[in-house]
Amino acid sequence: MDARVNAGPDAEPDDAERYPTLGEAGRAMLQRMREHPCAPLFRNASGNRLLAAEVEELRAYERAIAAARFAWSPDCPPPWLDAFVARTVAQVPHYRAQAGGASADVGFADIRFADIVPVDRGDLAADIARFVPDDVALERMINFRTTGTTGHPLVLPSHPRVAARYLAFHKRALARLGIVLRHGAGQMGVMLLGMQQRCFTYVSVTPTMGESGLAKINLHPADWRHPDDRARYIDAMAPEVIAGDPISFATLLELPLAHRPRALLSVSMALSPALRERLQQRFGCPVLDIYSMNEAGPLAVYDETLGGHLLLQPGMYVEILDAAGQPSPAGQDGEIVLTGGFNFCLPLLRYRSGDRGRLVVTDEGPMIVGLQGRRPVRYLTATGQWINNIDLSHALARLPLSRYSVHQYADAGVVLRLAASEAGHAAEAAALLQAALLGRPVAVAVLDAEDKVLQYTTELEEGLAA
Amino acid sequence: MNTGPSLDALLRRLLDTPPDFLDPPRQNGGGQVHVAAVVNDVLASHGAQPSPALLSTLGGELRGVSTQQLTLSAVTAWLLADEAWRRWPLPGDALLALFADAVPALAAEAPASRYVLEPERREELVRTTVARLGLQPDGETAAQAADRLASVSGVERRRLLQASRAAEARARAIREALARKAAEESADKWTRE
Repeated sequence: MDARVNAGPDAEPDDAERYPTLGEAGRAMLQRMREHPCAPLFRNASGNRLLAAEVEELRAYERAIAAARFAWSPDCPPPWLDAFVARTVAQVPHYRAQAGGASADVGFADIRFADIVPVDRGDLAADIARFVPDDVALERMINFRTTGTTGHPLVLPSHPRVAARYLAFHKRALARLGIVLRHGAGQMGVMLLGMQQRCFTYVSVTPTMGESGLAKINLHPADWRHPDDRARYIDAMAPEVIAGDPISFATLLELPLAHRPRALLSVSMALSPALRERLQQRFGCPVLDIYSMNEAGPLAVYDETLGGHLLLQPGMYVEILDAAGQPSPAGQDGEIVLTGGFNFCLPLLRYRSGDRGRLVVTDEGPMIVGLQGRRPVRYLTATGQWINNIDLSHALARLPLSRYSVHQYADAGVVLRLAASEAGHAAEAAALLQAALLGRPVAVAVLDAEDKVLQYTTELEEGLAA
Repeated sequence: MNTGPSLDALLRRLLDTPPDFLDPPRQNGGGQVHVAAVVNDVLASHGAQPSPALLSTLGGELRGVSTQQLTLSAVTAWLLADEAWRRWPLPGDALLALFADAVPALAAEAPASRYVLEPERREELVRTTVARLGLQPDGETAAQAADRLASVSGVERRRLLQASRAAEARARAIREALARKAAEESADKWTRE
C-alpha cells in the first residue's frame, strides 16, 4: 500500500501516511498500546512513514552496517573522503559558496578537505536551508528539533529512511554484547522514556521487526491516570529494549517494575558510572551509554573495558581539532568534528560537535576517550522539586535567543545570561524561566560574547546527581 | 576553483582570430564556415564528444539558431584551440554546456564580431569561457575572477540573479517543507536525543 501524500502544507497527516505498510499485527499492536487500561495519555502522533520498498532497503542496510569495518584511523583518512567532499561541495549551497561557486551550473574544482572551514550549530541555526543538498527531494522531508547544549535551537532536516537507520547502529552496538533483537509481531520492541513536564509522546510499530511496538512515553505523573500505572504499563507491554536519558532512567529506578528488558539504551546526556551500575544491577541487563546527537545519529557506544566510546558509524570520519580549528596532535584532547554520516538530507562536512575528547585506535575501530560535554543538569524549583534542563529549554523556546546560559548558585538562586544584543528579551525570558521554576526569581546578566557557553550549570550537588 | 590560463594569453588569441572565422557560417544552403565541424574538431582535441543535439544546433539547418550564435561558436572554438589550455584537462560536460548555454546567451546580447573587435566584449567572452570551465584566470582569486566577470558581463549578471532567485526559491521550499505538520510529526527513531 502506498502512502497517501497530503497536498496542503497544514494538512493533518493520517495513519496511512504514518504507517504506510501497516498490517493486521501492527494494527493490533497499536490498539493494544493505546487502549491498555494503564496506558498513559499519548499527546501526539507520529509513525515510521516507511514505504514497502524502503523496509526492504532498510533490512539490507542493517546487514551492511553490521558487517562494515572502519576504513580510517586518526592518521589515515577514509578512502571515500575525497569523493564525499566533491559531492558535498557540488550539491550543498554553503560549501559551494566556500569553494567559489555561485550556483550548481558553474564548475568548481578541487577544494582540499583540510581547507574547508569547519561549521558549528550556530551556522546550521542561522540558515539550515543552505546545508541541504540540491538533489534532495522535499516531499517527504521531516524534521527533528533540538535544543542542544550550546544555546542554538535547531530544526534539522531528515527523512523517514534516515530515522529508521538508527536501529542499524543500535543493533551493531548490541551485537558486540551478543544481543540479537528478536521481538516481533504482537510484542513490544522498544519503549522510549522521557521525564519532562512537556514531552512528545505517541505509539508506532517497526516494520523491519515484524511490526513490533514502539511507544514513546513520559514518566512525568501528569501524563498518567495514576502514577502507579507507569510500572503497570511497562510491565504489561514488556519491551525488549528501553531507551531513555539519565534523568528518565533515574525516575525508572524509583518505579516498582517487575519487567526485565534485554537492554537499556541511554542517550542525550552523559551517563554516570554510578547510575549505569545501579541500572544494570536493578534490571539485570546491559546499559548502553550511546553518544548520539540529532545532527549525526548514534555515533559511539561506551565500553567500560576499553575505557571509551567506540565509534559505530564506519561512514563517519571523526577529527579532533584544537581551538584554532587545526588537527590536534595524535592522542590529544580537542573538539570532536564530524564528516560524513547517514543523513542524506544533511551531509556533514567538518561539523564541530561542541563535544570534546581524544581519539585512540582499538581492534574494533576508532574510539573516543574522555568524552565531555553532555552532563545533565537539574534545577531546584521554588517549591523544592527538581526539573530537567530540557524544561528550561522548552520554557525559553518561544524567544528568538541565539544563545544563553542558566546557572543555579549554591543558595539555589538562578541567573540567566543573555547576549547583550538580546537584552531586549530579558524581562520576558526571566518571567518564563521563573514560571518554569515554579516561582523562583531569576536574575539576568550579560553573556560575554567570547564565552564558550556551557549552557546549563549548577553549584547544587544534587543538580548533577542524575 | 582551479587556476587556468592567463587572461592576456587568451585575449591575444581572440585578437588574432583569423578573419575567416567571422565569415558567414554555413546556414540554409549558404555561407562558408562549417561551424559544426570546427566545434567538433576542437572538442575532440580536448577529448570531448559533441552531443547529437549540439551538432544539429551548429549544423546550420535549424531555423531557431541565429547566425550570430553560429559565428560566436566558431570564435569560441578558435579560443579553445589555444595551446594555453593544454595544461588543464577540460571537463567534457562543461565544454558542451559552454556551447549549449553560454554561447547562445552571449550571442543574443551582441553580434559575434564585437566579441573579437571590442576590448570589453573580448574580456567578457574570455572570462565567461574560463569560468564555465571551472577555472579562474592565472593570478586572480576566485572572488576577483567572479567580480570582474560580473562587472563586464550583463549575461553573467542576469545569470547570477537567476541563480540567486533559484537558490532563494529552493531555500524557501526547504523551510516550508520543514514546517509542514507532517514534517513536525517527524518519524520513528529507536532513540531520541
